[in-house]
Amino acid sequence: MPDQSHVGRRYSAPGQRIASEAARAMARAIAGDDPVRDGDAVPPTFAAVYCLGPTLAQLFADPEVGIDLAGLIHGEQSFEWPAAVHPGDVIDATAEITGIDTKRGMTFVRLAMEAIRPADQAVVCRATSLMIVRAPA
Amino acid sequence: MTAPTASEVAIGDSVTPFSRTVTQEQINAYADASGDHNPIHVDPDFARSVGLPGTIAHGLLEMGILAEAVAAWAGGNANLLSLSCRFSKPLLPGDTIICTGTVVSVDDAGTATLEVVASSDRGDRVLTNGRATVRLSR
Repeated sequence: MPDQSHVGRRYSAPGQRIASEAARAMARAIAGDDPVRDGDAVPPTFAAVYCLGPTLAQLFADPEVGIDLAGLIHGEQSFEWPAAVHPGDVIDATAEITGIDTKRGMTFVRLAMEAIRPADQAVVCRATSLMIVRAPA
Repeated sequence: MTAPTASEVAIGDSVTPFSRTVTQEQINAYADASGDHNPIHVDPDFARSVGLPGTIAHGLLEMGILAEAVAAWAGGNANLLSLSCRFSKPLLPGDTIICTGTVVSVDDAGTATLEVVASSDRGDRVLTNGRATVRLSR
């Protein structure tokens, strides 16, 4: 189970390429049966793919932290987009565990992520996530 | 629809309400697009085995729809500067998500801050504590 000793652990996912087809697939998934509104743009929450996905995958696979995926809930999420992302961009994503608290049998894991485009050193996304791990039933 | 300019937006203004019915097909498509194939989203038997009424939508799919709602009002994805929320209640396949927002401040640079919320047509507040900032044209 995650505990205080894991605060400060960092995960790094460099070289995330923004593929236009993957961005379009997410825009279509968000639109459902409706037409895609902003077809040329990368959807803002595509950060799930270039920033959260590759760093959280490392956290979830970290045997030292030992998160039980069966009891995992995404509790809160914030995104800031200081600069736009475009297809073809290559992004370096990092995440850090910023806090871990346990109450009422649940463990609250807070993370901060940052995504940078090395080509111009632009920060394209800052994010925070709260993941809640329920104790095994 | 034309996006409002900074001088046209006042505290208390509402974002154009935005609803969308989320189907299991859409949830499956989001699982593929995001790479999040957690079985609580795509496998009804597994979802029930962990105490859910059935599969539930990804929180980030709901947040993507909320982002679209705010961006549409603000004139496009590029004008959405930030978005945050709490995933309070699950959204189930077949539910309609209804996104609303209210302007709480506008600064001299033309950045508006909004309180945003998403509810389901069954009356649950699915995304709460929502905040968004958008860039308005001058």
